[in-house]
Amino acid sequence: MSMRRLPHPDPGVPDLRSALAYLLWTARGQWRTLALGVLFAVTWFAAQAVMPAALGAGVQAASEGRQQDVLRAAGVLAVLGAVQAAAGILRHRMAVTNWIAAASRVQQLAVRHSARLGSRITRDVATGEVVAVTSSDVEKVGSGFDVFARFVGAVVAFVGVAIVLFASSPALGIVVVVGVPVLGLSVAPLLKPLERRESDRRTKFGRATELASDTVAGLRVLRGIGGEDLFVRRFHDASQEVRASAVQVARLRSTMDALQVALPGFFVVAVTWLSARLVVSGSLDIGELVAFYGWSAFLLIPLRTFVEAAHRWTAAYVAAGRVVALLSLPVPDEGGLPLSAERAGRGVLHDPSSGLTVQPQQLTAVVCAQQAVADSIALRLAGLGDGADAVTLDGIPLGELARSDLRAAVVAQDKDPVLLSGTLAQLLDVPRSGRVRIQDAVEAASAYDVLDALIDSSPDVSDPLHARITERGRSLSGGQRQRLALVRSFVADPPVLVLDEPTSAVDSHTEARIASSLREMRAGRTTVVLTSSPLLLDVADRVVLVVDGRAAAEGRHRALMLEEPRYRAIVTREEVNAP
Amino acid sequence: MKPPEDALAASTMTGTSLPIAGPATLRAYARTLLRRHRRAFTVVIVAHAVAAAAALVGPIVLGDLVESLATDLSAARVDLAAGVFLVALVIQTVFTRITRLRAGVLGEEVLADLREDFIARAVRLPTGVVERAGTGDLVSRTTTDVDRLNHAVRDAVPEIVIACITALFVTGALVITAPQVAVAWLLSVPLIVLSSRWYFKRAPQSYRAETATYAAVSASIAETVDAGQTTELYRLGPQRIEITDGRIRRWIAWERYTLWLRTVWFPVIETGYVVPLVGVLAWGGWLVSQGTISIGQLTTALLLTQMLVEPIDLILMWYDELQVGQASLARLVGVQEVPDAETDPSLEPADDRIVVDDVRFGYRAGRDVLHGIDLDVAPGERLALVGPSGAGKSTLGRLLAGIYAPRTGSVEMGGAALHLMPAEAVRTQVALVNQEHHVFVGTMRDNLLLARPDADDDALLAALDSVDALPWFETLPDGLSTRVGTGGHPLAPGQSQQLALARLILADPHTLVLDEATSLLDPRAARHLERSLDAVLEGRTVIAIAHRLHTAYDADRIAVVDGGRVTELGSHDQLVSADGAYAALWRSWQDADDE
Repeated sequence: MSMRRLPHPDPGVPDLRSALAYLLWTARGQWRTLALGVLFAVTWFAAQAVMPAALGAGVQAASEGRQQDVLRAAGVLAVLGAVQAAAGILRHRMAVTNWIAAASRVQQLAVRHSARLGSRITRDVATGEVVAVTSSDVEKVGSGFDVFARFVGAVVAFVGVAIVLFASSPALGIVVVVGVPVLGLSVAPLLKPLERRESDRRTKFGRATELASDTVAGLRVLRGIGGEDLFVRRFHDASQEVRASAVQVARLRSTMDALQVALPGFFVVAVTWLSARLVVSGSLDIGELVAFYGWSAFLLIPLRTFVEAAHRWTAAYVAAGRVVALLSLPVPDEGGLPLSAERAGRGVLHDPSSGLTVQPQQLTAVVCAQQAVADSIALRLAGLGDGADAVTLDGIPLGELARSDLRAAVVAQDKDPVLLSGTLAQLLDVPRSGRVRIQDAVEAASAYDVLDALIDSSPDVSDPLHARITERGRSLSGGQRQRLALVRSFVADPPVLVLDEPTSAVDSHTEARIASSLREMRAGRTTVVLTSSPLLLDVADRVVLVVDGRAAAEGRHRALMLEEPRYRAIVTREEVNAP
Repeated sequence: MKPPEDALAASTMTGTSLPIAGPATLRAYARTLLRRHRRAFTVVIVAHAVAAAAALVGPIVLGDLVESLATDLSAARVDLAAGVFLVALVIQTVFTRITRLRAGVLGEEVLADLREDFIARAVRLPTGVVERAGTGDLVSRTTTDVDRLNHAVRDAVPEIVIACITALFVTGALVITAPQVAVAWLLSVPLIVLSSRWYFKRAPQSYRAETATYAAVSASIAETVDAGQTTELYRLGPQRIEITDGRIRRWIAWERYTLWLRTVWFPVIETGYVVPLVGVLAWGGWLVSQGTISIGQLTTALLLTQMLVEPIDLILMWYDELQVGQASLARLVGVQEVPDAETDPSLEPADDRIVVDDVRFGYRAGRDVLHGIDLDVAPGERLALVGPSGAGKSTLGRLLAGIYAPRTGSVEMGGAALHLMPAEAVRTQVALVNQEHHVFVGTMRDNLLLARPDADDDALLAALDSVDALPWFETLPDGLSTRVGTGGHPLAPGQSQQLALARLILADPHTLVLDEATSLLDPRAARHLERSLDAVLEGRTVIAIAHRLHTAYDADRIAVVDGGRVTELGSHDQLVSADGAYAALWRSWQDADDE
């Protein structure tokens, strides 16, 4: 597979029986690049392994004055160099391709599964865990495939050189076969304490960073109220703790660095000394001595690859386990009774747990004494949360409806709506009825100034539809977010729309304009607004008062104001505070 | 191959509002750091010089050995050579340890200096700069740049310094051993230098784009998960998949580009390493046959040539990281370049009266938001600012709180220009209260003390009491020592807001500018909070940017702000009877309400 053909048009159906099964499934999908990678890696390692021999032969020839052979050795060396350079880059290209193929497959599978899970995913698993999968685990799985070919090449090179050494002298062979693994394992006892100290440093560094970024994030407060010195002192203390802890890491790291000099160095000395003794005894020539010296240094490369592969495969295996766990989260059943959009728009919506009944094609307002109750009613009417399955639309319990038909029928807008990042055009690119034009929706939601603000914050665009909204719409105020969400809901134009406090962060001027256009925008559609704003309540066909989770009274807003003291108490909060 | 066109990657790289230090400032800063740590730096250099010299013993000993073995096969000679080799190895080990340890300690000291200098400067930035730049850029410098610099100082800088010294020693040894063959390196110097220049001209920004596009993929998936409910309700699944696949495609396009850069560069470099080896062998072999150099010299020269590859490779490998670190350093040091606001600490307001005189102000040149505002606020008065979104209410509020300086005209407190007073002086007079009720990581005590560092616990409790926060405060596990903020004991939004109000009681300014202080809260929590707020407002001048009309109703005077001008000004009754914009709005509110 060439990188040109990535990402996969369809990531396929993974084998989720185990972490290993998943890794093997991925490997099958990219066996060609894996095989090519092995071929190049073996060639690359072989070229490097033969170099010391060529060098030794050259020195031997020079010592005997065979000028012709010196040139031949130099020629061989040049060819080996060329092969090494070519095979090296080809190997690297295959490794990167394997990395990306495996990593992008995880990304594609993760987003597809998350999209299928919808609201369930955050219920079953913490967002942080999923983020860990999509950021670090993706890399770990990928890098497991990256190292594979190099590992095979290292094994071939190591075995080859060991055989040559054995053939020259069993003693040398034993030094290599025993010495290299010992070298590989010798720093192992230090790894755990280093890991511990490093993690202590990371924790302290993390805490200092958190303190610093928290201080900076609250800088407006700090500059407005005071306390700068206090915070600078606090940070100084935390920073010095990091330093002290990092010095402990440096101590151990420097010991390891010294060992990385001493141990391989000792190995080189031993091999050279043994080879030189063999020269004295006449079983080696000086060219071979030079070659063996070269090999003793070369063998450290496969050794490092072995250690690296062990690390990466352990990490990849653990990461694959987490990927499998994420992809195994059960997807809700798609089947159920069909419901046409037309029928959904004509059906009565009834919530047995609150006793709330919503008449079709009307604007119904719901006033709750507690915001939490309002939130749960809004979700329930849209078929989410506890008790949602019992809610009926045109007599059919939502739990029995086909998921796709339910989603086409009812949309609920949260009081703090989530805007996904992207351009405004992408934000408004939702499945829609086609009945509402974008500019009409913007007009109805009084959102023209939000469009202006978006253009102001993205200087390189002139069409607001191409302006970018940052993640979660953080650059916008609460009121601006609510109005953009209203535009989105209006454009989607579902048969049933549930709005939870849609204008709680919008100023009175603007709220009045939205209230006056809401009816027209939703004419002939079923709309539920959960609110306590008199401006919105006044335009509703019917208002239902919910007390302690149950519908307690209903009527027009003005009638309820006169007849229902509990209702008046909730709606006219200004009168409670009035002087 | 051309780099992919990529709006996303470009946009993540531009758009900063705080300065980035130029090369001259950076050099000066680096010199200061060097001076401050001159001793430690010298120790590192000298220690590594010893280690690098000891490392040269191997090739030299082997060369000698080859030389002597060619003529005289003596086991004692071999054992002696091995002994010398071993001693050199011990010296190299010991001094490597000293180098690495001293370099590590030095690096950590430099890093601590850098981050502490940065924070000390950041918290003293002029308020207008903070308000305008937002805290996002600062936070990213605090986290990302400090972290990147950490990598650079802990690894890249010592590795490169050490590799440079090693390369210098090996080259020196090579020249001394056999200057005739050392020239073989001249063949590959142009190869390495030219190809590296080509590579590093393109690499840094491409790797940044690669990292940014990769992060965008993760962000897109995380967002899909995080907004699972929205994705489900608005049927955004297919769109999320399409967007994510698109981002994956873009990331891979950058991966392909950087891979292509390496495809060009790596083989040239590798060739650059082999060419000298071939040259030394062929040319040196001929010189040996001519008797110009000995076989021992040839061997040593070959081994040194091989040995030189590692430090060069290390320099090239870490060079990129060094550049990343340098860019981050420029962003950290850049904050030092923000000019202090021109202030006059001797300014002392004569009284608490605020006078706004023909104020014009805009965030961008040629685009005023306020067009000639006149306003006079008497001590103890309650003034409400009402008007549609984007009319300039919040901007006016920030001028009244001394955060921005007017472009023309003046905002004076008791005859003293607010924007000329230092932030430390302004805040004893006036405070801006907005939706940003930041709870700092730390104890409840830390969170309150910042407003009045010398207050005792009784004063802190009294402040909490007066904003009606004692009922929930008493349920906290450790009282004032309870850890709050990110990762600590969670506070509800209303509680955070009360904490912010308690700070105000402690800070005790005589004037408050309220900017939609309670608007994002659940209306019922807001009602409770308004009682706490009343306690804070008691006896102070209040300028309230009114979000809901009832706030305006309570005020002594109401200013209607529209299009950057004060269009109506007067008491509620006056404005209602004047029958202007305010009256119309009030009627629609009122109609909906009663009748």
